[in-house]
Amino acid sequence: MPAVGPLTAAAAVVVAWQLLAQAGVLPVWLVSPAAVVEQLGVLAASGELARHAGASLYRSAVGLALGAGTGVALGLAAGVSRPVAAFFDPLVALTYPVPKVAILPVLIVWFGISDLSKIMVIAISCFYPCFIAALYGARGTDPTWVWAARSMGARPARTFLRVVLPSAAPQIFSGLRVALALSFILMLAAEMIGSSNRTGLGFLILAADASGRFDLMFAAIAAIAGLGFCADRALLRLRRALAPAPPAVEATFGE
Amino acid sequence: MSSAAVKARLLVGRYYSLVVVLAAWELLARSGAVNPRLFPTLDAIGSSLWAMTADGTLATHLGATLLRVFAGFGLAAVAGVALGVVMARLPAVGRVIEPLFSLGYPIPRVALYPVFVFLFGLGHLSKVALIFLECLYPVAIHTYSGCRDVDRLYLWSAASMGARPARVFARVVLPAASPAIFTGLRIALPVALVIAVLTEMIGSTRGLGWLLTYATAALSRPQAFAGVAAIAAVGFALDRLLVTARTRLLPWEHEAPPIAAGAR
Repeated sequence: MPAVGPLTAAAAVVVAWQLLAQAGVLPVWLVSPAAVVEQLGVLAASGELARHAGASLYRSAVGLALGAGTGVALGLAAGVSRPVAAFFDPLVALTYPVPKVAILPVLIVWFGISDLSKIMVIAISCFYPCFIAALYGARGTDPTWVWAARSMGARPARTFLRVVLPSAAPQIFSGLRVALALSFILMLAAEMIGSSNRTGLGFLILAADASGRFDLMFAAIAAIAGLGFCADRALLRLRRALAPAPPAVEATFGE
Repeated sequence: MSSAAVKARLLVGRYYSLVVVLAAWELLARSGAVNPRLFPTLDAIGSSLWAMTADGTLATHLGATLLRVFAGFGLAAVAGVALGVVMARLPAVGRVIEPLFSLGYPIPRVALYPVFVFLFGLGHLSKVALIFLECLYPVAIHTYSGCRDVDRLYLWSAASMGARPARVFARVVLPAASPAIFTGLRIALPVALVIAVLTEMIGSTRGLGWLLTYATAALSRPQAFAGVAAIAAVGFALDRLLVTARTRLLPWEHEAPPIAAGAR
């Protein structure tokens, strides 16, 4: 059996969908790919796409940057310092399995249905995978490398920057990849639950759904899928440039 | 000092940060610096939690949420392990299925929820279907990599001792892959709860997620925080359950691995 490339498989699905839709077999709400592409063009031309996608990306990017920044920094600190680890370990272990989306209503009460409450919930969600990955990445540094650096006269700060950080980098990127996916899920969720200024792709999906505009709904879903896919590829590319030798699981998927 | 007292001291020493955080919360709530309506005290949250437990509200909504979580997660666990095994054992099939996973992985599948509502309605089924889809990815991916990375030496020695393929699979591949499978399950289980709560917040009349949005809309803050506490407790308990099952079933793997590395 010949190898089926991912693009061939995807193209086959799209062609089959289009043919079925033209034959009139599909229910009304399952609009044809051509109609979705057409609607995407309309959205892009009117600037609506840029407005909604821009609002969504702004929320997820700021949330991801805040959460990942704090997570990696604290995780690395906990990885090299026992007292820091002793403080954060139990807190993270207890709250890690908690669905962070549950605190969204609370954040909305505190900060209003604003961008701030959305950014906060995204940041909190992204914190966890980054913290855990950085912690175990830093802890997993081969002690002989650290000893070698120290015996050659490197100060602690230099040892951290030149030995611990590079050795933890592949793990940190794994954490970042999880956080990136989470930031998209939480962004959509927060926009679906409540969007004050009527922007964002999640809002667009629900609004189109409510008004029976299925072509619009699928166009928004396609846009979010495309953005998620591109963001993930960009992160993988960044990792290849900065930290080669990825861990085993992801070496097989998505690269 | 008795050994029980030493143990208690160690426990407090280990979890002191938890006490610090809770004490800080209580102090802040009682100080009057913040609006007590936005920031209820711990005993207000606790008594609200108790009231909901006593009148059965909590049990009703907890039941609805858990039913969705277990149905979606259970189906995804069975299907995900089967898919992962098939992908690892039959390369021809793997080549067809794998693109679906590698292309679909970064796409937020929550976006499909309105479509699922159209297909399956607003009840249990649309939520279970979305939970199933979200959980399928980590389970299948980890099963696949676990089955593929089995040490060659194990396979060779089993084969040279005359084991047939089916037996090699049941006695060598599956046990060797089970730690990876458990990692996939442990990633999927919190995801199942997240999706359950999330879909209940978007559209439902039952479940902990609905309880939470209802309490917030009714301006009943202690009840909302009690809902958060209940969801947190469920999330923690589910994770512990899985870790306990892992130590029972895989006694040769001593420590549960950190979860973030290589997750999803």
